[in-house]
Amino acid sequence: MYGPHVALDGMSLKINSGATALLGPNGAGKSTMIKTLLGLIQLTSGEGEVLGYNIRTEGDSIRQRIGYMPEYDCLTPEMNAVHQVKYCGELTGMNTNIAMQRAHEVLEYVGLRDQRYREISSFSTGMMQATKLACAIIHDPELLICDEPTNGLDTKARGFMLDTLFQVVKQGDRSILMCSHLMDDVEKICDRIVMIHKGKLIAQGKIEDLKAIDREIEIWVWGGASRMEAAMKDAGLKPRRTGRVMRVVRQDETTYDLVLELAAKAKVQIRRMEDYEPSLEDLFLVIMDRLGYGVKSSADLLQSQPPTTSVAPPPSQPGGHF
Amino acid sequence: MEDDIPSVDDLFPDDDFPPSKPSTESIPEPDVEDDIESLMSVEQALPQPEILPADAEFMGEKGGVVTGRGRMEAAFGTGDGDETATAQVAQVSSEVQTGTIFHQVYRPWRGELNSRWVRNWAILRYHIYGLFSKGHKPWPVMTKLVLFGVLITSIGDLLMLTVGAATGVEAIERLAGISRGNLYGHVLSFWFRNACTYPIVTALIIGGMISEDRRNGTSALYFSRPINRRDYAAMKFLSVAIILSVVVLFTLSAYYLGAILVGGEGWSYVMDTGLLFLGAFAAGTLLVFTYTSIGLALSSVSSGKFFPAVAFIGLILGTKMVAFLIWALFDSSAIYLISPYDNLAHVGQWMLGLNHTYEHPASWSLVMLITMNAVSLYILSARVSSLEVTRE
Repeated sequence: MYGPHVALDGMSLKINSGATALLGPNGAGKSTMIKTLLGLIQLTSGEGEVLGYNIRTEGDSIRQRIGYMPEYDCLTPEMNAVHQVKYCGELTGMNTNIAMQRAHEVLEYVGLRDQRYREISSFSTGMMQATKLACAIIHDPELLICDEPTNGLDTKARGFMLDTLFQVVKQGDRSILMCSHLMDDVEKICDRIVMIHKGKLIAQGKIEDLKAIDREIEIWVWGGASRMEAAMKDAGLKPRRTGRVMRVVRQDETTYDLVLELAAKAKVQIRRMEDYEPSLEDLFLVIMDRLGYGVKSSADLLQSQPPTTSVAPPPSQPGGHF
Repeated sequence: MEDDIPSVDDLFPDDDFPPSKPSTESIPEPDVEDDIESLMSVEQALPQPEILPADAEFMGEKGGVVTGRGRMEAAFGTGDGDETATAQVAQVSSEVQTGTIFHQVYRPWRGELNSRWVRNWAILRYHIYGLFSKGHKPWPVMTKLVLFGVLITSIGDLLMLTVGAATGVEAIERLAGISRGNLYGHVLSFWFRNACTYPIVTALIIGGMISEDRRNGTSALYFSRPINRRDYAAMKFLSVAIILSVVVLFTLSAYYLGAILVGGEGWSYVMDTGLLFLGAFAAGTLLVFTYTSIGLALSSVSSGKFFPAVAFIGLILGTKMVAFLIWALFDSSAIYLISPYDNLAHVGQWMLGLNHTYEHPASWSLVMLITMNAVSLYILSARVSSLEVTRE
C-alpha cells in the first residue's frame, strides 16, 4: 500500500545475482518497488528478503549493503565531488580517512579523476551522473540499484556510463538492478528483466528466453506482396506487413516450407527469408501492445511523463512518522 | 634521411671551441654525414691529457678534463651499482591496449562499516565543521560573518567587565557585573539581542537546513543509506542547537566565569550567584530549543532558504509587534501569549526571580511555550517523513 493506493499487488519474484532490469511504464510501481527493496516501505502483507535480510525488520542492514543511484539530482551543488562522495561514505558508516581514500578511488573509476576537486555546480549532466554513481559504489555494495542511469546523457557519456556499469557487474562481480526506459541500455547491461505494470508482475526471466516466446520469420518478397499477404492470410499465418517485408510467427519447422509453397502458388519471388532476432524493444512493445498501450517505442513513455505528485507515506511505515 | 642529422659543425661552430682544446690529431675526423653513434665515439676516443690542471674542478671532478660525465651522474645517479640495480617501473595490465591512457579497474573494498552513532556523528560534524573548514556543509560566507559578529557582540558584557577591572572604574564593574538583570539581559533582553542578533543568526542557520535537502534532492543520499528519519531530524536539530548554544549559552558561561576570574571572587560568590546563573542557563536552553524547533519546522515546509529565514524573523518580531499594538489598545498582556519571544521572556523572568512585566500568570506562558514547541516538532517530523528517496 502507498497511501490509499495499492502500489504493488500480489507480486512474487526472485531476482538472482547479476544484472537485472526493472521495466514498466510510468506509474507501474517501479519507484515503490525500489523503496520496498531498500526497506523504506512497510509491506502490508507478504514477506521479502534482500541479500538475506528481512525487508520488514532489517532495513538498515539492507541499506548498508545496497548502493542507490537516484534518477534525479541529489548532490550538493556547492560541494566538490570528492567531499560529496566522501560524505556519502561516512553516511554509510565508513571512517573519515577511509572514506576519503575510497572517494578518490571511485571517482577515478568513474572517470572523474581530474575533476574531483571541481564544484559540482559546474559539472555537466554526465559528470553529475558519474558522481552519483561514485556515491553509490563508495562502500562497494553487493547490490547496485540504478534509476535511469543514462538519463540526459549524450552518446559518449552514455556509452561510458554503460561500460562502467558493465564493469561493475563483470569485473567487480556485483549485482545491478537497473530501471530504464531505454531498451538498448538495458540490453547492453542486463541479462534478465522484471517487468511490472500497475503494481503487478507481467514478465520476468532471461531476456533471451523471453525473446524466444514469439519467434518470427522475416520474409522479403518481390513481385506481388499483396498476393503473398493474402495467400498467407488464407493459410492462417496472420502476417504483419510493411511494404515488401512481412513477418509471420514461426509455428514449427514446417512454417518455412509452407511459406515457400504459398510463394510458388502466388507466383511471388522470395528474396530473403530468415528467423527474425527481436530486440528487447520489440519484446517491450509486444507486451505493451498486449496490455493495450498504443506506444510506438519505449521513448514514448519518456515523453509522456505523468504529473508527479507527492504522497505522504502512511503512519505505519518504518522511519516515517515518529 | 641522413641529411636530417645535424652535423658537429652545426652544433659547435669552430669559433666556440676553446683555444686550449686538446689535440685531436689521432682522432679520426667524423664525417659530417655519419650518424649520431659516430659522434659519440669521438668523445670516447678522447685521449687523457698528460698535464692536469690542478685548480680545475667541475661538478665534483677535480683535476680532470671536463667531459660532462660528472654532470650526467649528478642528473642520472652515481653510476655505481647501476648495472646490477633493478628499476621499479609501473606494471601495465595485460588487458591494456596500446594507446590506452585510462584503464578502468573496479577495486573492491572489504572494510567494516561503523555503527549508527558514527553515522549520526558524521551528519553532526558535516553541519558544524562546515563553519570552520572546507569539505563539509558549504555555509555561505555571509552566515559565517554574521555568526562571528554576533559572537563578538554576545561577549560584550564580558569585555565591559574586563575593561572595568582593568581600569578600576567601579561604575563599569557595577554596571556589567553579575546580577539578575544582567544575566536575564544576556539571554532574553529584547533590545538588542532578541530583536537583532539571535533571531537573525537563527534565521541564517535554519534557512536551508532541511529545505535545501528537499530542493537539491540530497535527502535521497541520507535515506537510501542506513540513516532513519528520526536520526536525520535529531542530528539536524542538534546541529542548529549547538551553533545557537555557542552564541547564547557559551557566551553566558564565559560571562559568568569571566566575572569570577576578573573579580577574583571566591566560593561564597559562586554560592550566592550560582543559582542565578543556572536559572539564566535554563532560560537560555529553553530559548535555544524553541528557536531551533520553530526554525526547523519552517525550514521543513519550504524548498528554499529564503522563506524559512524571513518567516522566522517575521514570526519572532511580527508576533511581538502585533501583541504590542493590541496590548496598547486593550491593555491586556494575555495577547503576548501569541509571541514566542514574550513567552520565553516571561518564563525567564520567573526562573530568575525577576519582577514580571506581564500581568498574566507565567504558567500560561510556559504552557504556550510547550504547545508551540510541540506543534513545531510535529510539523518537523511530518515533513521529514514526506522527504522522498525517489522522485518527489
